[in-house]
Amino acid sequence: MADSNALDQLRAVSSDPMGYARAWKERTGGLVVGSFPMNFPSEMVHAAGALPLIVQESDEPITVGHGVLFPFYCGFTRSTVDQAGRGDLDVLDAIMFGDHCVQLLGAADAVRVQLPNTRVIFFQLISSMCDPWTFGRARESFQKLRSELEDFLERPVEDAALHASIALFNRNRQLIRTLYAARVDGRARLTGSDMQAIVKSSMVMDKQDHTALLEQIVAALPSAPVPIEGKPVRVHLSGHFCQAPKPELLAMIEDCGATVVGDDLYHGYRYISTDVPEGIDPMDGLARWYMDRNTGVPCPTRVQNDVDWDAFLLSAMRDEAAEGMIVLMAKFCEPHMYYYPEVKEAFERAEVPHLLIETEHETMALEHLRTRVESFVEILRRRRGAPRTQKSTVEGEAA
Amino acid sequence: MNAPSAPKAANKLKSTRMAGKLVNDYWEMVWRAKEEGKLVCWYEGSSINPFLEAADIVWVHGEAYSAMLAARHQEGPAQAAAEERGYMRELCSYARTHLGCAVNNQRHRNESDSAFSGVPDDEDISAKLPPPDMIISAYAYCSTGQQWDEMTSRLFGKKIPIFNVSIPWIWASGKDAGYLRGQEWQETSKYVAKQLEEMVKFIEERTGKPYPWDRLRELMRNVKRASELRLEAMDMCTARPAPATLFDWSVSIAPINQLPCTTDIVDYFTNVRDEVAERVRTGEGAVPKEKYRLFFDGIMNWNKLGWLAEKFARYDAAVVAGRYTHMAFWQEPDLIDPNDPVMGMGQNYLICPNNHSSPILIDLIMGLCEKYEVDGIVFHATRTCRAFTNPMHMIAETAQKRLGIQTTMFEGDVADESFYKDELLNTRVEAMLEAIDARRMVMV
Ligand code: SF4
Ligand code: SF4
Repeated sequence: MADSNALDQLRAVSSDPMGYARAWKERTGGLVVGSFPMNFPSEMVHAAGALPLIVQESDEPITVGHGVLFPFYCGFTRSTVDQAGRGDLDVLDAIMFGDHCVQLLGAADAVRVQLPNTRVIFFQLISSMCDPWTFGRARESFQKLRSELEDFLERPVEDAALHASIALFNRNRQLIRTLYAARVDGRARLTGSDMQAIVKSSMVMDKQDHTALLEQIVAALPSAPVPIEGKPVRVHLSGHFCQAPKPELLAMIEDCGATVVGDDLYHGYRYISTDVPEGIDPMDGLARWYMDRNTGVPCPTRVQNDVDWDAFLLSAMRDEAAEGMIVLMAKFCEPHMYYYPEVKEAFERAEVPHLLIETEHETMALEHLRTRVESFVEILRRRRGAPRTQKSTVEGEAA
Repeated sequence: MNAPSAPKAANKLKSTRMAGKLVNDYWEMVWRAKEEGKLVCWYEGSSINPFLEAADIVWVHGEAYSAMLAARHQEGPAQAAAEERGYMRELCSYARTHLGCAVNNQRHRNESDSAFSGVPDDEDISAKLPPPDMIISAYAYCSTGQQWDEMTSRLFGKKIPIFNVSIPWIWASGKDAGYLRGQEWQETSKYVAKQLEEMVKFIEERTGKPYPWDRLRELMRNVKRASELRLEAMDMCTARPAPATLFDWSVSIAPINQLPCTTDIVDYFTNVRDEVAERVRTGEGAVPKEKYRLFFDGIMNWNKLGWLAEKFARYDAAVVAGRYTHMAFWQEPDLIDPNDPVMGMGQNYLICPNNHSSPILIDLIMGLCEKYEVDGIVFHATRTCRAFTNPMHMIAETAQKRLGIQTTMFEGDVADESFYKDELLNTRVEAMLEAIDARRMVMV
């Protein structure tokens, strides 16, 4: 990667989001508004002049959180209540969310009790995506959130400011998508962790500053593909909602002879897949964005009978010339577990190999996983020359 | 604390025996549906069954089917079929069991299409469930409910029409927020009622007939009356000894939740109410030597219903109330206007206990604990039902602080026995009862 300085700055923010928020607050005297993943439009907070920050899973082991949520919850929710209990979320002046997963609702409910002095604003987004009233309801929900934000900040969120924020956020997403495209065509040699640092820092940093760094990174891209040693297998990473997969896991995958050419991770392409339409009423735009992103990159936390996540994955992999898919599933993530059999069957039918890896907040037996990833990479290598006759179940799926 | 005493300590209500027959008749009707040329609708969560029954559509409540299989210890084949297709063990065991029925159903159909002998084993009632002609999803609070329906539709190749009713969580925002009040409550009620009106249009499209509103009104008259009787009988359990326990109320869930809304359910709850009243008059307790009164927080462990009833009774502990039994299932009959029932039905769907965020939910639970004068709360940490486990730690903490009562937790599940740990339950309950004894000694 040519502009390593800019990338280093993004890596630093990504590894310490709350540290960044505290420093930003000290520097600007502004308010920081946290939000829960995965569908809150941070543009609104930005337009109000505050710093929007998507709450991240922390690396810390769970301590006080044990007394709030049971151990059979996903790492993101357990880590969030743990952070709240330890005072790590105190830098947030308010928290907003509008999502739907039952574990997330549980965490939000607990956080409100844990942080009595922090305003926690909620309005549940409709998660049934193809009803005649979905658009209207989504718009109404965003309007409610906007009004509550205005009430909290004691100032209006002006349409003009919202238009400007939408344009800035769109630019930011477009730049990251440029990097995604450059990774597919070989001009950008970005590791999985690099890409994660780019996206995760975008969820945390001042958008203007983040965009400026992205401009530098994109400007430094070479015009032709960078030659690569050996011929690593091209993989697509799928899944992992709400929380970022651990960088050491991504590094291990690449270390086994794979190169990540695409993903639909929330801390990846899912986050930047879709722009908010400009030139229309901004609230209409946000509601449209909410719906478009599920058509663009279907999410198992929503229900939409006329789009298929499995079909999306197969098509994305064709575009990326990916040879196999590694599914990263956060342990106890129910939405993912419900949809997984559909993906598994579709991939078996299409004879595209995939490997399922369940990730955990606390410990992951990386050495054991390494053996499985190595075998998977080996299978993908062997397929290169072989005609497509073997069944992908034998080859890939390794739940 | 007493060690578990003589066998068969639970003095169950006699009137609830009728539930078994009514439940069997109902499932027989479901199993005959296709032979009789009836349309079948699968749904989970909210009791939308009167809407379907009125339109002569046979209704299958997914949880009820899974609970029935678990209670009869016949959940195995369905859960195995689900697992084979890749549904993992950590998923809601109601959903897994019901999805397993769908997998079995599809499998048998495909096998018979290919002239392969696909006739289900007579004993395997998971495969007897008639496939749906439509799916209606109307699940309060829990995202699993909606996904379960979506995945069912996908299992059937997305060929079955599906209708989604979105029931928003009551977050209790705004200064006027509270139980059944405030702007949020009013707006949300209207939003749900509007969708139910649309749902009726969906039903009309399926049946090809105008919706029989008069029939719905008649059914809702029965539901309202049955609910009033149930609540009246429950209220009488403030008496000491308690004439009935949570286990009697668990057996009585089917009649209020998914059995045909005929006068049978009114008769059923009339009998229950009368028996409870008689017990109060004669001082007969559901736990003869009632020494402790407990609240049970969590969904029922259907594989263990009789077992748990016995276990608590042997500890001389009357489980007098619970979140699942006492805060759900047409819980607010006063909201139902049989002449114009839609709004009140929607509001009853909205007050599924889990659909209140903790400020409201916890107050309601503390109110019940005080009303029934409980000594402690037993939490059933239902491993695969996060909707129930979400607020448990907060409820426990509040109960200890606000009411000064004991609490304990044990792990189990709604329909997957493998999560249940008997030893843990024994030691934890015993420790709690000992603590209650110790506290009483201090207070004497
Ligand atoms: S969608 Fe998955 S990762 Fe996100 S909160 Fe729900 S269970 Fe956790
Ligand atoms: S997890 Fe609990 S509330 Fe959710 S669908 Fe299953 S049983 Fe119902």
